[in-house]
Amino acid sequence: MNLRMIAKKLKYAVILFMLPFFVNAQQKTIVGKVTSEKDGAPISGATVTAKGSTKATKTGSDGMFSLIVPSATKSVTVTSVGYSAQLVNVGEDDIATVVLKASEEGLAEVVVNVGYGGSRKRDLTGAVATLRAKDFNVGIITNPDQLFQGKIAGLQVTSNSGQPGAATTVRIRGYSSLRPGTGQPLYVLDGIPLDGRTARPGFSIGGLGTTPEVNPLLFINPNDIASIEVLKDASSAAIFGSRGANGVILITTKKGTTGQPKLDFNYSIGSSTQFRKYQVANAAQYRDLLKTYNVTATDLGANTDAQSEILRTAITQNIGLAVSGGTENNNYRFSLNYQDNQGIIKNSGLKKYIATFKGQSKFLDTKKLGLDYYVSLSRTDESIVPVTNDAGFTGSLMSGAIGWNPTTPLLKADGSFNQLGVNALVNPLALLAYYNDQVNITNLFGYFSPSYKFNDNFEYKATVGINNQSGVRRATEDSALATAGIKGRGIAYYANNELNTLLFNQTLTFNKKITSNLNLNALIGYEYQKFSYKGTSVSGQDFLSNIPGYTNILQNASQSSILISSFNDPSSELQSYFGRATLNFSDKYLITGTVRADGSNKFGSNNNYGYFPSFAARWNVSSENFMSGIKSISNVALRIGYGVTGSQEFPAGSSQQQYRFGQQSLGLSNYANKDLKWEKTTQFNIGLDLIVAKRVNFSIDYFNKNTSDLIFNNPVPLPGPAVRYWVNSPGNITNKGIELKLDANIIEKKNFSVNLGFNAAFIKNEIQNLPPGNILTGVVSGNGLSGATAQKLANGQPILSFYMLDFVGLNSSGFATYRDDSGTPKTADATQYFVGSPIPKTTMGINLDVTYKKLTLSASMYGAFGHKVFNNTALAVLPISKLGSYNVDTRFLLPGENTGNGLAASTRYLESGNYLKMANMTLAYNAGNISMLKNVSLFVTGQNLFWITNYKGVDPEVNTDKQKDGVSSFGLEYTPYPSARTFQLGFRLSL
Amino acid sequence: MKKTINIILVFLVFTVTTMISCTKLDEKLNDGLTQEQANSFGSPSGLLKNAYDQLQKTMVDQGSFWALEEHSSDELVGPTRSSDWDDNGRWRKLHLHTYDKTHDLIGTSYEELLILQYSATNVLNFSPSPQQKAEARFLRAYSMYCSLIGWGQVAFRSETETAAIPPVKKPAEAMDFIISELTAIVPDLPSRPTALASQANKDAANFLLMKCYLNKGMVVNRAAPTFAAADMAQVITLANSITGYTLTPNFFDNFSENNISASTENIFTESNNASTVSRNGNSVKSRWFMTLNYNHSFGGWNGFTTLSDFYNKFESADKRRSASYPGITNVTGMKLGFLVGPQLNAAGVQYVDGKGVPLSYTSNINISETVQPAIEQAGIRVIKYSTTNANKDVPTNDYVFFRYADVLLMKAEALVRSSASPSAPALTIINNLRTARGASALPSSLSLTDILDERGRELYWEGWRREDQIRFGTFLSSNQLKPSITSAKFLLFPIPDNDLSANPNLVQNPGF
Repeated sequence: MNLRMIAKKLKYAVILFMLPFFVNAQQKTIVGKVTSEKDGAPISGATVTAKGSTKATKTGSDGMFSLIVPSATKSVTVTSVGYSAQLVNVGEDDIATVVLKASEEGLAEVVVNVGYGGSRKRDLTGAVATLRAKDFNVGIITNPDQLFQGKIAGLQVTSNSGQPGAATTVRIRGYSSLRPGTGQPLYVLDGIPLDGRTARPGFSIGGLGTTPEVNPLLFINPNDIASIEVLKDASSAAIFGSRGANGVILITTKKGTTGQPKLDFNYSIGSSTQFRKYQVANAAQYRDLLKTYNVTATDLGANTDAQSEILRTAITQNIGLAVSGGTENNNYRFSLNYQDNQGIIKNSGLKKYIATFKGQSKFLDTKKLGLDYYVSLSRTDESIVPVTNDAGFTGSLMSGAIGWNPTTPLLKADGSFNQLGVNALVNPLALLAYYNDQVNITNLFGYFSPSYKFNDNFEYKATVGINNQSGVRRATEDSALATAGIKGRGIAYYANNELNTLLFNQTLTFNKKITSNLNLNALIGYEYQKFSYKGTSVSGQDFLSNIPGYTNILQNASQSSILISSFNDPSSELQSYFGRATLNFSDKYLITGTVRADGSNKFGSNNNYGYFPSFAARWNVSSENFMSGIKSISNVALRIGYGVTGSQEFPAGSSQQQYRFGQQSLGLSNYANKDLKWEKTTQFNIGLDLIVAKRVNFSIDYFNKNTSDLIFNNPVPLPGPAVRYWVNSPGNITNKGIELKLDANIIEKKNFSVNLGFNAAFIKNEIQNLPPGNILTGVVSGNGLSGATAQKLANGQPILSFYMLDFVGLNSSGFATYRDDSGTPKTADATQYFVGSPIPKTTMGINLDVTYKKLTLSASMYGAFGHKVFNNTALAVLPISKLGSYNVDTRFLLPGENTGNGLAASTRYLESGNYLKMANMTLAYNAGNISMLKNVSLFVTGQNLFWITNYKGVDPEVNTDKQKDGVSSFGLEYTPYPSARTFQLGFRLSL
Repeated sequence: MKKTINIILVFLVFTVTTMISCTKLDEKLNDGLTQEQANSFGSPSGLLKNAYDQLQKTMVDQGSFWALEEHSSDELVGPTRSSDWDDNGRWRKLHLHTYDKTHDLIGTSYEELLILQYSATNVLNFSPSPQQKAEARFLRAYSMYCSLIGWGQVAFRSETETAAIPPVKKPAEAMDFIISELTAIVPDLPSRPTALASQANKDAANFLLMKCYLNKGMVVNRAAPTFAAADMAQVITLANSITGYTLTPNFFDNFSENNISASTENIFTESNNASTVSRNGNSVKSRWFMTLNYNHSFGGWNGFTTLSDFYNKFESADKRRSASYPGITNVTGMKLGFLVGPQLNAAGVQYVDGKGVPLSYTSNINISETVQPAIEQAGIRVIKYSTTNANKDVPTNDYVFFRYADVLLMKAEALVRSSASPSAPALTIINNLRTARGASALPSSLSLTDILDERGRELYWEGWRREDQIRFGTFLSSNQLKPSITSAKFLLFPIPDNDLSANPNLVQNPGF
């Protein structure tokens, strides 16, 4: 090596070393402050981008920013959510003061959660609905799904029961699931997909039936939710792959506010009564009926109103506290919630205790290392009453109460319960007194999510999340209760279930302005999630005493009565790889593509991985020059998308041969299906958004959704270990429809404003290509109705269509006759027909807000139309043939009806389900700051104020679970827990 | 350059963490065993018990195969009682022979029998001992026999069958298979009384073989059954091989809660011994719940009755028709057998029905009762099983499948059907039985009708009536509530739609 060479190397080294300085010499630093035009307050988080460059930064909490730009830079663009973007010229002084105006198009700048990241609303290519906390329903909100009931087009929320905390049926864009308990959207809480089940042990009491399910979202404090996003179409939901087919609801919790520590407090107290009673005869009417129909029955001289005896005016209290605060780089929020929600049936109720802590911190001098963390601990205590889905001939609490003969006293002269015997209708007061059923569910939910921003383009984020839920149920029936199997024996049941979820995911996002008018936003990710579910139960009978409570003295049970059982479901694991890329051309044309590969150990070994792609495009028409002259219509955008999503809602272990253990026995219980895979939904969506006259926000979407490879409980080619096994049926279900959304700012004056929101969805549902078979569901319950069903799956019909006898009228002897293929109506064994669908053709919501000075009146109505509801209650509990022993509903009686008329599931009890419900009306007085108290507001709310419906039962919205052979049901009402009407008074304030 | 390093670093972190956390997605069953695990587990006793436990749902429940064999016959009817017991017409359609392929109980019974067949067959894959193997094959043969009697074709999956869609055996083939199986297993089965009647035993296999030979000509030609002399000879030989039994002096001891020791004629039963089994669902208790009025004696669901034509076939002295039973009659006032007329408690006070009307079962019965008090009280009730247990839901009566009296009746029938044999020995058998039961001896001639009637009087509500009526050619005949002769298609039950769709090897029975 000679000197020349060394010198040469040295020269390169020097050049290399000096390079940054040379570069610096060609740059300049711009500093400035961004403030709001309205009040001059600094705007934090505003984005400052150098024009013609990819350099960008954000303002701090003081509104200040500092940005290194090429020296040739002449201007910077400043953007912030809710403000109009502004172009600011920068000269040699490199100091800029920017005053931003509030944007009329503010909403378009809002960032919405689209799963694994956000998107500006104006960049959305899919059908995504957003609802912010200020737009949520108010009142007694036990389950988070009540917050958005009636608020979002195409999203139907149906309460399965009126019991506080009961599960709901949530459907996005129609019905496409046939497996009971499925079809619910995937809920994602702060990025953690939830299991959707609960750890509440089930309990079926012989004769009384099964109590309805509890809501799986109870552990979430509704006050903690900042916003929800609903991913409705496949192009947006495909990022959730094999779990996105039923739509995705993303729940984002509130984070700490920056600035001074702030304390929010709210309290409310409400009273609830039964919305509508079953209209049964009172004692005087009943005596008249006995005379009229010449029925001999023992009149015990009482005037009993058994419904009133089990009902009460229920008091509900809700207390919430939240402390939040922090700086730009470190914020926190801590919240507490206590809710004591009495049920309108005595002894029933729900208490919730929830504590959460959420924090976001940024570390290092560069603030590039971020950490988000969240812990939520909750406990719910349910007190359950025996209102069941499938009570047999001796009834449940509700059928006992509505069916009770009003001339028979509930209590004997000596004050003891007048129980009619093990083979007669149960005495509802005795049942209330002798039945005790307590469930405690503890839930721990938390995540820990570090992120690192490598540079302006790359950000890495990882999340570790857990959700551990444990449920304990203690139920007893006293030996004094005169029901079959309980009388003289009593029963105790103790069960404990555990439901655990573990999640790890990581994403890498890339965001870069590739050229001055082309931006690429891309994401790749990996996710692993594991679900496990296990439990143990013990039951025993024949205790010596119930004074301590049977569940406290299980050792006292007789040896032969003790039943012990445990289960541990196969752990289901999900491993996924996913990616998303959005290309944005000049904010005019956007193209998004996503793909997710989902591997699930539930899938059969021949189908371990599923692939779910989607594509979507958006054209911001208003950004085109030709639209510049049109002032009356703005923000016009056209969206089009197509994608594939899946549903994997079948029990873990379904693809394998499974031997299960019984008492001293072992048997094959499941027939393997190595081909078992996800249900596949493809969806096409086209939508138009626009704003008319800067006041009316309008959106319309057309969608065409096709669900195939249906997860179906198919008959096994017998001989086999079970009658049915899970397959992907060749059938497919289509849901086609139109969604409309309208938000009109009708009056906007300084002291007076009126806003009207309207949403509606029109859906056509059909099932096709089912193989031949006779698939019945919708079990009709009650005495003399064993084996009766109300629904059938058939090609060319909406799914779960009603299929039953078609009632014609009474014959001359007063017996019911039914249409028959022979042409002559028959009294029995007539032809069954398809007679309507339980699925609403139209759902709608109307929301009105009127503000006058400090007063705001909000009203929210929703309704569903074009469907039928089967009134199993009226058929089974209240028919004329039970006159003398049960009560009757005279509205269903027909002139000349024979008291010996039999019972059959027929259109006589199939009613129009149309309803429009005044679900919520709130009057709030926003007092503002009162001395030390800030943001004081008082409100009074009424829920379920009235409805418009011809339905004769207690609530057309109620949906009792009447599944059969692994096929779900919908639209049957059977002695449900009644809905409540509630008035509530409350206040909020901050310190 | 730093940027490049950064990018590489970013991807490196991402890739490494992805690879570390990558899993193979094997599914562990946790509370069950996979096929491989079960194979290595190697104990067939649990699987054999699983098969025995299937008998309850398949043969004992009031809606099981038992119901198909009884409701479609002339000795039992489930009338609709106004708002009660319509049950979508399931009982009525069986009795009137108007059932079709959508009948729910025909569907579930078809399926339950094939599940029993599978459970029994699967024992054979777990290296059973010769006796366990024989027991499993017995249960399989019993299940196949019932499938054959009901539907005339038997889907069959052998222990080595791997095809997803199992083949189907036609009547003759199925019967030959069942006979060969039963014949083969007798040597390996345990002997009574060393083995309990609730365990498959030599006598049970021979009993079922007798049924097979007796019905062999029936299953291939239900409209006009034939009876080969060789088959009848087999029946007689087999009957003679079943020894050690005598007619139980008190007829109702065969069905009592102590029948495990009190009966001297039970050959094959289901054990309901409370200390060894706990039966959920409708076990033997359904035998009284299905018939008694709500508040009568140990209480019931006020359902099924017999028909007066059938009741009238008894002599009044016949103890099988009505007899007091210690522990029952002196406690609840109720006699066993057939219940008709006013029902008194032990103190002589008349019971009342669910509407408070004094309870008196009437012999008159309609397929649909619409007027009180007939809605509650119409129909003669039938009680063979009884209990003194305060806990009526877990009785300890063993449920009787095969009984020695039937061996005698089958032998007598075979003797009569064998033209070569004189009817005198048959008459002796029948008259010995009748005498033991308190009935008078028949005169010198013995017709097939006499045998069918005697079978009815002895075996009523024990689940054999449809099979017997088909064999004796009276199944389609008009009877008390079935005004006309029904179509020959009803000699077979229809294959349920769902099963027909699942197994293309099945052919729907003609007419359905």
